Amino acid sequence: MTARTSSTPWFLSLPGLIFFLGMVVLPLTLTAVLSFHAYDFNIGVLDSYTLSNYTTVLSDPYFLSIFWRTLRIAFITTVLCVVIGVPEAYILSRMWNPWRSIFLLVIIGPLLVSVVVRSFGWSMLLGSTGLISKASIMLGLGPVRILYSEAAIVIALVHVMLPFMIIPVWTAIQKLDPGLEPAAWSLGASRFTAVRRIILPQISLGVLSGSLIVFGLSASSFAIPGLLGGRRLKMAATVVYDEYMHELNWPLGAAIAFIVLVANLLIMLAYNRMIEAKARKVLG
Amino acid sequence: MSFLTLNSLSKIYGNFTAVDAVDLEVSKGEFVSLLGPSGCGKTTTLQMIAGLAEPSAGTVTLDGREITREKPNRRGLGIVFQTYALFPHMTVAQNVSFGLEMRKVGRAERDRRVAEALALVKLDRFADRYPRQLSGGQRQRVAIARALVIEPPVLLLDEPLSNLDAKLREEMQFELRRIQQTVGTTTIMVTHDQGEALSISDRVVVMEHGRMTQADVPAAVYDHPATEFISSFIGKMNNIPGIALKLGIRAHGVILPATDCPATEGESAVLSLRPERITIVPAGQGHLHGVVSARFFFGSHWLFNVDTAVGQIIVSWPNTDGSLPASQGQPVGLSWLPESARVSARTQETSRIDA
Ligand SMILES: Nc1ncnc2c1ncn2[C@@H]1O[C@H](COP(=O)(O)OP(=O)(O)OP(=O)(O)O)[C@@H](O)[C@H]1O
Ligand SMILES: [Mg+2]
Repeated sequence: MTARTSSTPWFLSLPGLIFFLGMVVLPLTLTAVLSFHAYDFNIGVLDSYTLSNYTTVLSDPYFLSIFWRTLRIAFITTVLCVVIGVPEAYILSRMWNPWRSIFLLVIIGPLLVSVVVRSFGWSMLLGSTGLISKASIMLGLGPVRILYSEAAIVIALVHVMLPFMIIPVWTAIQKLDPGLEPAAWSLGASRFTAVRRIILPQISLGVLSGSLIVFGLSASSFAIPGLLGGRRLKMAATVVYDEYMHELNWPLGAAIAFIVLVANLLIMLAYNRMIEAKARKVLG
Repeated sequence: MSFLTLNSLSKIYGNFTAVDAVDLEVSKGEFVSLLGPSGCGKTTTLQMIAGLAEPSAGTVTLDGREITREKPNRRGLGIVFQTYALFPHMTVAQNVSFGLEMRKVGRAERDRRVAEALALVKLDRFADRYPRQLSGGQRQRVAIARALVIEPPVLLLDEPLSNLDAKLREEMQFELRRIQQTVGTTTIMVTHDQGEALSISDRVVVMEHGRMTQADVPAAVYDHPATEFISSFIGKMNNIPGIALKLGIRAHGVILPATDCPATEGESAVLSLRPERITIVPAGQGHLHGVVSARFFFGSHWLFNVDTAVGQIIVSWPNTDGSLPASQGQPVGLSWLPESARVSARTQETSRIDA
């Protein structure tokens, strides 16, 4: 009896398990194996094994600068998403319908537009002949070109990542007792103090989980840096693409991909730890 | 001398009048209950006093100072919310201390006053707990301590006991009254529980459809309800429709006596009679005859349903020595002192409610 009941969960999770093994674990393992293969420019992937892909990547300032840039862009994007998204979520939660629905749609809007179309829109705005540059020329400040800079990547990333910050924060605010703020006011707190002392500590969990999503997605973003960063400004995902599709050095690409994966995983795990510790404190 | 004055205070949402020109004067140290059915505008009235809802018209004056448009954090009133609204990420002591921090009270004095407030509500041992680790009644007492520690001129309570079970609720009613009398804070409590309002307040204000219909001491509200609605809302009441006579009414050919008879003779009127003012007498005696159709035991008293020519009459009989005046199915007579009955003119509104 017990044997049967204990095997039932396994049986029920079988489809998911097969899917996970086939679509995630298998390709990852293959990539890991590939990253240890030797490579020759004339022959291609060799059958011998080596660590040289990793030593190349980790000792080459070119790759290191790309890793560093990836982390920096992901970090700045996350910070900006917190700075913009948290107040926005708060304001949204204080809105009445129909405005709330309208603004929610505006916020989720970027996710409904293809990344190519969206990036194309940004390049028209940010390019040297774009709207912003033209406006700056008209004001006598000379042309500005934001396109193909880290700023362009960050702007476009923040644009599309904001919903991932706003929605968890908004959900956290929705769960709060609406009487909390009036209670703080009645005790003499100003509006700002009430938000800082009462609301913020309780939605910090939402902010942290939003940051986790935004950071992870930004660090592995591909289309936006590819389209708005140009040929020179590479991020981790675009350089992996280059190794695979242009250099045809698959083992090196696999090694880069693996390093990025591990680095990302480590950062997110450490962060998750922090969230859990915090959750234990807030929720008990 | 009135301490808190509401002067034709009104709140209009769109084309709906939630609170309609409420006038109220509360003296210092008084405990006033706002009583009324759901949706009659009690919370809205309280929120206008607290500054959490902006009045559409009228003024609020506190101790001679008009505070109608003042922000809630400048009024300094203590508020206990229906959901308590304790800060879940702070301990009991931190919750109580918050208002003092906002007032920039020094550390040492803050600790002293927090300890005092917690002792007042008998929660000194729970200072380091989080709200989620407390029972409903304890949370409610934290909310009271938090509101009282800032020594507010007025304490506002919005249905503070409605989340508690019947037993705890009764205990907390007395507890609330004890605390209020110890501290002497002017208190306004919203409730839809008539028993609660009658038992612990100095004065009961009854609201109906956004209007204040009676404001009086509990016994007066009970014994001399201003409207038929109040008479049936507060306590049990037998309302017998009929035609007004000089001293009583005629209903279905029976003459029912009453001394308090302001209705015009010959007009349609209602005779109101509390169940506990009726005595059961042997069949053939009394003002009204009927048959006992049901009997209910309540510990301290019995309730009899008696079917009569004028409809079903409820009679309450005290359980003093365990003796019973009648059993089910037995014909009985009903008697009362004419002073206990009240006749009022049948208004348009009351006839609509009956219909
Ligand atoms: N923001 C609002 N917009 C429109 N109508 C409202 C609003 N707030 C309250 N009302 C209406 O005003 C009336 C009075 O509401 P209020 O909350 O004061 O009732 P209450 O007497 O406290 O009732 P309860 O005992 O159920 O708490 C209700 O009919 C309610 O529908
Ligand atoms: Mg209410």
